[in-house]
Amino acid sequence: MTDTVERKALTKEHLLGVYRVMRTIREFEERVHAEFATGDIPGFVHLYAGEEASAVGVCSNLDERDTIASTHRGHGHCIAKGVDTGEMMAEIYGRRTGSCHGKGGSMHIADLSKGMLGANGIVGGGPPLICGTALAAKIKGTGGVSVAFFGDGASNQGTTLESMNLASVWNLPAIFVAENNGYAESTASTWSVSSDNIADRAAGFGMPGVIVDGFDFFAVHEAASEAIARARGGGGPTLLEMKFTRYFGHFEGDQQTYRAGEVEHARAELDCLKRFAARVTETGELAQADLDAVDAEIAVLIEGDVAAAKAAPLPTEADLLTDVYVRY
Amino acid sequence: MGDAIVGVVANPLSGRDIRRLVTQASVFPTAEKANMIQRMLTAFGAVGVHRALLSTDLGGISAAVYRACSRHRDSDARWPEVEFLDGRPIRQTAQDTVDAVRRMVIAGARVIVCLGGDGTARVAASAAGQVPLLALSTGTNNVFPAVREATVAGLAAGLVATGAVPAEGATRQAKLLEVRAGDRTETALVDVAVSSERHVGARAVWDPATVSQLFCAFAEPDAIGLSSVLGQLAPVSRQDPCGVTARLAAAAPRQVLAPVAPGLVVPVGVGEIEPMHPGSVHAIDARAGVIAVDGERELTFGPADQPAVRLRADGPRCLDVPAVLAASARLGLLTTIHQPPGGAHDRHG
Repeated sequence: MTDTVERKALTKEHLLGVYRVMRTIREFEERVHAEFATGDIPGFVHLYAGEEASAVGVCSNLDERDTIASTHRGHGHCIAKGVDTGEMMAEIYGRRTGSCHGKGGSMHIADLSKGMLGANGIVGGGPPLICGTALAAKIKGTGGVSVAFFGDGASNQGTTLESMNLASVWNLPAIFVAENNGYAESTASTWSVSSDNIADRAAGFGMPGVIVDGFDFFAVHEAASEAIARARGGGGPTLLEMKFTRYFGHFEGDQQTYRAGEVEHARAELDCLKRFAARVTETGELAQADLDAVDAEIAVLIEGDVAAAKAAPLPTEADLLTDVYVRY
Repeated sequence: MGDAIVGVVANPLSGRDIRRLVTQASVFPTAEKANMIQRMLTAFGAVGVHRALLSTDLGGISAAVYRACSRHRDSDARWPEVEFLDGRPIRQTAQDTVDAVRRMVIAGARVIVCLGGDGTARVAASAAGQVPLLALSTGTNNVFPAVREATVAGLAAGLVATGAVPAEGATRQAKLLEVRAGDRTETALVDVAVSSERHVGARAVWDPATVSQLFCAFAEPDAIGLSSVLGQLAPVSRQDPCGVTARLAAAAPRQVLAPVAPGLVVPVGVGEIEPMHPGSVHAIDARAGVIAVDGERELTFGPADQPAVRLRADGPRCLDVPAVLAASARLGLLTTIHQPPGGAHDRHG
């Protein structure tokens, strides 16, 4: 009848599942924020708190055939694609038990077994990667879809624009998710993005571009499910623009002199977890007690992850040259 | 006539929703919205509007017009004084439109032009009071706003704002649908649809199989969107005091092939059809779901909310562009006859 997706209502299990993942990301990031301040975590961390509905709304439509590429702000994408939080926390602490054996740190967490191509220190580094995996999926006929998350800063990078062009020319099963949190580091996207709406750029590449309320899980889930079904069905790429706010600075330690009041407003009025809880309890799909139980369970999980990470061994000199070369 | 003021509010987000993805709905670029405002400013200036109040946004429209204003100083065409309503905070929600329109009303705007789709017009209308509203289409489902050249619309708005054409004969009062669910109230200018979806989600309604009840303030056979369904079966004009309502069911024997969204023509099952008389209250049958106003899911409801829809006659006062320009033709408002310099002697000279 229509070429749109036959949308199934999300079951209680699904709803609890996505809430659990969003809560896990929030708890993970709030905890890393606190732990980073103690000085025990090496390197830089860029936190995803506030943006959970994007990663989870998109990734809850994906399966084991699918791949994602992430950004320097990658913890949320990793968790949403199923990377183990214990291994992630160990990686952030630079421990041997980490997902990259402690050699990557926050900005390079990857788990190919989960289809997670990696957080990426290169701004605009993810989109070219997903053109590769999407092309592979298309040639092999796996039905897999590839998703690149990138920010408003990366939306101005040549790599991103070239990738959108290539994905359109090759009609790839690729989804470009622009996470527009308003600032590329400290530069406002209203100043630096010439088209103002990143989604507008889709027209130039001959693909649909849609603006989504990035604080609203249901809006993201619905838009992503349509885009992903379209890509799986051979319909080609889509650009989704999430508009929202990050709760922490660009990196931990950022004084954020470039903004005031936004975070407080977003946390109070727009927060994706609060809105999700209000909606599902209002409709009677979940009870507050269900959500509280998840919160308690996740608090224990992350507490355990931090304790395990702190107790885990650091890499040794002997580990220096392992994982460096790949045999084809 | 220092108070010939026109307000212009433009929605930076109109024409950007999920219908770009699920259908082939058009994209209305920000640059074109800014161009439309500039064309209107030229028309305003030509007919003597003194001041234009413009909404501000973070989507790039007001920034583009601001840049154009500074460039325009050297041009011959006279623009009115332009004042940007520096909305704070800009929320990037429909509230920005409400705030801007309220400020325009307070500042004495005699006409308010609104650029957007049905959703934007609905929101602008809720704040415009009795100030004449001119809704121009830059959105997706455009039943209420007209697709019209901004220059011509600008002339009409200007002629009414200056008083050259009296507003009384150039406006018509639109109908309005009022939805109540518990203690919440929403309004619609075109249609109210009851959907079995559980959440507001991506807002747009494009799957008629989810719609169980439809209420239309008017239903034109050549409309786009859900009202087109009843436009084929029981057309109701904008001038008719009544509206029309129907129950929809995918399996109903009567099926209407309807353009329910741009790029989406699908059969819609229609059951019982009833007229809606002004003031009469129509209960919503479903116990739970989402209510969409003018094509956008807006209100979720449960059994305790007992939602109902009422047709009201006191909708926004809409500027009738053809009527304004017909009046200007009758009155010769845009016509001047220059006497040749020096009179008859020169003519032969």
